Amino acid sequence: MKIGRKRKGKAEIPTSSMSDIAFLLIVFFMATTKFDVKEGIRIVLPQAADGSSSETQSLTLTENEMTRLQIIEDGSISVNNATPRFFEIGELDALIQQKLRVNQQMIFRVITDREATYNDMVRVVDRLKAADIEKISLSTN
Amino acid sequence: MANIKKERSREVYIPTSSMSDIAFLLLLFFMVSTVFVQEKQFWVERERWPIAESIERIPRNHTTTIYVMRDETILIDDIPTRIESSDDVFVANTLVRKKADDPELVVCFRTDRDTKYGVMSDVMRQLQDAQTLIVAFETQQRMD
Repeated sequence: MKIGRKRKGKAEIPTSSMSDIAFLLIVFFMATTKFDVKEGIRIVLPQAADGSSSETQSLTLTENEMTRLQIIEDGSISVNNATPRFFEIGELDALIQQKLRVNQQMIFRVITDREATYNDMVRVVDRLKAADIEKISLSTN
Repeated sequence: MANIKKERSREVYIPTSSMSDIAFLLLLFFMVSTVFVQEKQFWVERERWPIAESIERIPRNHTTTIYVMRDETILIDDIPTRIESSDDVFVANTLVRKKADDPELVVCFRTDRDTKYGVMSDVMRQLQDAQTLIVAFETQQRMD
């Protein structure tokens, strides 16, 4: 009787499509990844005023040293207590440049009404930052 | 007579055996660096942020985010709170703790653009009390 000898087959896992699968997964992650980058307007707040501190001193500033930008409830702006009116972005830029021509070290005090919107305040601060002004004071009434 | 050798055509071969290793390395990079942001109930969508031009990038490693909703709800460390009186000092207390952990802390505001400024003023007052003075108002970039 003839007994057939079993041939040893070489066991192999096909890996040729491995890179295809890996690249498909990469494409998925690249497409779905959203980098959560933080971008915004950076401001440094002043120290909290402590009424009892002897270091606290009041200063009287003239219009040539400080400009008051008072944002009213409806978003209009009063400049140095003048009648409030709405300012377009270009008008705001022109106003800031005009004040800077008077004094390069001009302080801008932005007084926002509690009922005005956050957007109104950011709009004004954005134009001040665009003009490279660092001396910005934020307050409310 | 000169012996002219016949040029043998060589088979050009690019080794691709390490291709899957490279691909898996890239895959690992994306898997490790991906952070899935879970949308919260109090999420302020990017479309609701104010639009500004003079914005700057803020390094993420020293930041904490405060969300302020249009209904004046404040979200800090995933805990909603409100400031209705001077006794509501949850924001200040949280920031004092955070400031102790990271002295270079920057507080980022993700605020709905139609939020009344009053609540922002109250929050900033508490920031001053907590000595966390560097703030950033997160905005969308103006495109025009």
